[in-house]
Amino acid sequence: MTGLIALIKRELHALWRSPWQLALVSYIPILSILCLWWLFSAGLPRQLPVAIVDHDNSQLSRMLGRKLQANPVISPQSFVDLSSAVTAMKQAEVYGIIVFPYELKRDLVTGHSPTIDIRYNSQFLLVGKLLSSQIQMTLGAGLLEVAGGKLLLQGVPESKVSVNLSPVKSQTTALFNRNNNYVGFLVPPVLVALWQLLAMLIFSNSLSRELTCEGGLVPGTGVWSRVLAKVVLFTPILLMHGGFILALLYLYLGLPAAGSLALLMLAQFVMLLAVWLLVLLVFFIMRDSARIVSFGTAMFAPAFAFMGITFPVHEMPLVAQWWRLIMPSSHYVDSHVSIISYGAPWQTIALQLTSYWVFLLIIPVLVLLSRRLERASPSCENIA
Amino acid sequence: MTFWQLVLSELKAIVSDKAIAVTLFGGVLFYSVLYPLPYLHQVPTEQQLVVVDLDHSSLSRRLIRHADASPKISVIGQVGSITEAKTWIESGRAHGLLVIPEGFRRDLLLGKGVTLSYGGDASYFLIYSAVAEGLVTAGMDAGKQVQLLGMLAKGEAPEQAAQSLNSVKVNSVPAFNPSLGYTPYVVPGLFLLILHQTLLIGTGILGAGQWKARGYWSELSPLQLISGRISAFMLIYLFFSSFYVGFCFYWYQVSIQASLGLVALFLLPFLLATSVAGIALSCLFVRRDLPTQVLLLASMPIMFVSGFVWPLALIPEPLIWISQAIPAVPAIMGMLELNQMGASWSSIMPKWLQLWGLFAVFFLLALYGVSRRLKESR
Repeated sequence: MTGLIALIKRELHALWRSPWQLALVSYIPILSILCLWWLFSAGLPRQLPVAIVDHDNSQLSRMLGRKLQANPVISPQSFVDLSSAVTAMKQAEVYGIIVFPYELKRDLVTGHSPTIDIRYNSQFLLVGKLLSSQIQMTLGAGLLEVAGGKLLLQGVPESKVSVNLSPVKSQTTALFNRNNNYVGFLVPPVLVALWQLLAMLIFSNSLSRELTCEGGLVPGTGVWSRVLAKVVLFTPILLMHGGFILALLYLYLGLPAAGSLALLMLAQFVMLLAVWLLVLLVFFIMRDSARIVSFGTAMFAPAFAFMGITFPVHEMPLVAQWWRLIMPSSHYVDSHVSIISYGAPWQTIALQLTSYWVFLLIIPVLVLLSRRLERASPSCENIA
Repeated sequence: MTFWQLVLSELKAIVSDKAIAVTLFGGVLFYSVLYPLPYLHQVPTEQQLVVVDLDHSSLSRRLIRHADASPKISVIGQVGSITEAKTWIESGRAHGLLVIPEGFRRDLLLGKGVTLSYGGDASYFLIYSAVAEGLVTAGMDAGKQVQLLGMLAKGEAPEQAAQSLNSVKVNSVPAFNPSLGYTPYVVPGLFLLILHQTLLIGTGILGAGQWKARGYWSELSPLQLISGRISAFMLIYLFFSSFYVGFCFYWYQVSIQASLGLVALFLLPFLLATSVAGIALSCLFVRRDLPTQVLLLASMPIMFVSGFVWPLALIPEPLIWISQAIPAVPAIMGMLELNQMGASWSSIMPKWLQLWGLFAVFFLLALYGVSRRLKESR
């Protein structure tokens, strides 16, 4: 026990002497968490510029224009001709184009069926899909009003008009993220990916200090007691960062959370242990500080894409689904969604945590590799 | 040492340094496969849906068949209550639910309005939008059919009835990424960012490893060293960018609008500015494992601030101003406009000039930094 305390003290000294490592455990996480949250702080896409080319200039087209103006997502910009609207779209100044055709109103009144053309920029998939559905919904509602007027003229009683127009109404509910807020859906996984990177960096830096420049072990007590000291020191520090993320999102910003945050902290704790195991594996194989970090980077940098929040897991190719399981963050995100959205109880989470069992297979490999490291020559000549 | 000897020794230093070689050659290849891997199937289809049918009529069964026929939805089962449907969603068996109210068919035939309720799991963005889109279309189709039946029953001519139902056609068509695929959306921006980050890391590690030691670099003037280093990295990145923007764009079916000459002309200041920015950055480090760490942490913010994932219109202004100093930011947007959306050269000219401006600024910074580092080591 006293040995462990001495080793932890040694870790603390090392931490104090390394400005970069000190930055990594203190202000860098806080700054980057706040910075990423700020980036997405708008939460809901609003006032996205859309070009309107009105060739009709009738009461009807102006009414539809006003309807679009009233939609909070759309910010209509008038364009005189189509070509300037197309240029603006190619320069990403507007995200969509709506064309009201010449004689729109006349065609409608005389019983022809005119076409309103919409082009939306799907190179920006997120914005494009949102605009497409919002524009169609708004125009649909506006045109329905016009059709309602027509029915009244035909002598349909007012109480029957709305039923005649759309006998089947639909009510769409976004379950679990009620107002479709992007802060609620995008920011937590982004921050978890960042947190995983920080954990990887902090632990690899600390482990690299135990290496001589030839890849041997710095003389001293056995490798496992040193690793234990690092785990005991850095696990609580990183849990504090993880707790900061949860507190910022669910306590300060007040995003809805159905389940208990304490359970989430438990999930974070298990995820950290899995990250430690992976970093240890890379450490014992690479035994060179720059290469450990490069390898860890290659592994964890794409973590966000594999979480399955932006793109559904069951639509990924099988290889991607396997690769996903290598990353502790993907296991964690499943528990995160269960707790935050569905309010899952501890039994469900405990069951989910068993998905980490594959990481246990790393342990015997680590034991074998650590023996090799302890046998490696401790001497170090000159730095290349 | 002649210029070409210098470039050759730079190339040797890059290839023989394992950390750099792994980052550049391994990283660029590895990421070209790994990043797009989850998105290979492009469009989410056949999202599992659970139905709560409280009506049990011929019409409700028809509606369910309609929903199932939609490419976005696959009906995986029916349950008796909404609570039960919710447990299906919470356990991950289904991602959406459809509730058909009691008396659905009767009310419709009596000419009363009915309301269908749809729900989608909004914890997952694409799943939710696929479920919502599929169900709205199915519901609208069902509504139209009922309307048509009603009109025909009232004695209207079928053609007339069909027309008054579709009085105005709304024709919404995606532009630039017609398949609405996820890889053509992510790949163009992401791959430029990977080129940017690996180039910065490569130059960073090379510099950080050299400043404290002596070698061929100690004998050179800062200007010589910088030009030699830029040339060496440009040679390597000529191949990497051809691979990414050429082969990978083709392989991942990214739409391409600009000519090869224009793309090359646009990438030139991007690669120059990035490599010289990397050299300037490398002067801040003497530990070889630091450049990777700093640049890794910067990657995610750069990706989101460059405007291809999250619209620029929603990013706070101060963040946009700061980001303009990062070569990847004007380069990604400029390339998307030029190559994916077919903008004219004159309209992306400001971004091209901005990249040349960044090249000039970082060149001066690199000159200052390298001359200080070289003086220290002498």
